[in-house]
Amino acid sequence: MTHEEIQELLGAYALDAVDPDEASEIELHLRDCPRCRAEVAEHRETAAFLAHAGADAPADLWDRIAGTIDVPAPVIPMALRLGDRARDRRGGSWSRPVALVGVAAAMVIAVLGLQVRNQDQRIDELAAELAASDGGFAAAVSHRDAEMLELEGATAIPVVVSEGKAWLQAAALPELEEGRTYQLWGAAGDELVSIAVLGRDPGVISFDVEGYALLAITEEDAPGVVKSANPPVVAGELS
Amino acid sequence: MTSAPKNQGMRQDDLTLASDAQLVVAIGRWRQEALAEAYRRHAGAVFALASRVLASRNLAEEVVQEVFLRLWDNAERFDPERGSLRSWLLAQTHGRAVDLLRSETARKGREEREHRGRAEAGYDLEHEVWDLTVADQVRDALGALPAEERKAIELAYFKGLTYREVAAALDQPEGTVKSRIRAGLKRLREGLADAGLEVGV
Repeated sequence: MTHEEIQELLGAYALDAVDPDEASEIELHLRDCPRCRAEVAEHRETAAFLAHAGADAPADLWDRIAGTIDVPAPVIPMALRLGDRARDRRGGSWSRPVALVGVAAAMVIAVLGLQVRNQDQRIDELAAELAASDGGFAAAVSHRDAEMLELEGATAIPVVVSEGKAWLQAAALPELEEGRTYQLWGAAGDELVSIAVLGRDPGVISFDVEGYALLAITEEDAPGVVKSANPPVVAGELS
Repeated sequence: MTSAPKNQGMRQDDLTLASDAQLVVAIGRWRQEALAEAYRRHAGAVFALASRVLASRNLAEEVVQEVFLRLWDNAERFDPERGSLRSWLLAQTHGRAVDLLRSETARKGREEREHRGRAEAGYDLEHEVWDLTVADQVRDALGALPAEERKAIELAYFKGLTYREVAAALDQPEGTVKSRIRAGLKRLREGLADAGLEVGV
């Protein structure tokens, strides 16, 4: 489709009234075209007025939703399990400065690779975010206080920590089936905090790491959980 | 992410005063009461739209549940600079409802789909519009649209038809229908703005 043909379809697209192949083509175009993106957003705001209704949603529905998201699970045992396993296997602590040059190089290549992919396919916001965070990443790697470590387990996941910020390259995690997701946790004292839900095929993630003594990634049912009862796929201590 | 202290979020009673964008930040920090407040504000519209598109209370409830669970899980996907929380929730609701509708339709087969298309053509749309519990301004702005544009938008938005199906149902060329949907939405937006309802993005 030409730009004009796509523009002509934006109204129908905003109302989910195009065929799937047209929708894919439009979505591809929207990545590149802020003007068309703005128009779709405007149409959707307009359509939102049509949906306006004074009535409330069914009262019992919220209880069901709240029941679904309220997943109580043991928190402290997980951290203990992590520590035990680490000591059993290695007889030492989790943290380990890894071969600095190798990991740094691998991560730079990974990030550059993502940028190239970004230019080629102009993927999406995530890629844009990565490109934006790359400045920080490059600086972090070259910073003299930057610390390299690995989360270990089924596979090794490199992490760079610098000035309270961490970059984690999760591409080595195997892609999960539909309906599952990886989730990143940070432990501060006895409390395990969900840092991010990573999706089923994560890449580079950056996050604030201040205050966490330990990082762990678990595998969960999408859309993630408040507290995990699952053993970590990979984990590692921060020094 | 910020490194703000984790235990100094807004108190629960403050959430009713929080903006939608603030609510989403709190939801991103797994604060259930923030999700409850978002639900209080927007679930009525979400449920109304899903009910209307799906014509089934059970399916509509499923969609509401799914949309709010998705917000709980993927709060970071909402970008306040790209539009309001309400339109984001409603766009997801509509997309999901239409998916359900279409898979249902596909299951029932081609014959029935054609039948449905024919049935829509004779449907008293004007009557339906006036049944809607919409704000007066919205009703007025919708009523001020050329009839052909209004019909095309209603069939697409409330009945979940594609523009091709709308064209078949109204026996009009596909190109005309897609232009009418777009032009109608633009006109509607201007009408709403004239009535004091700013459609901001």
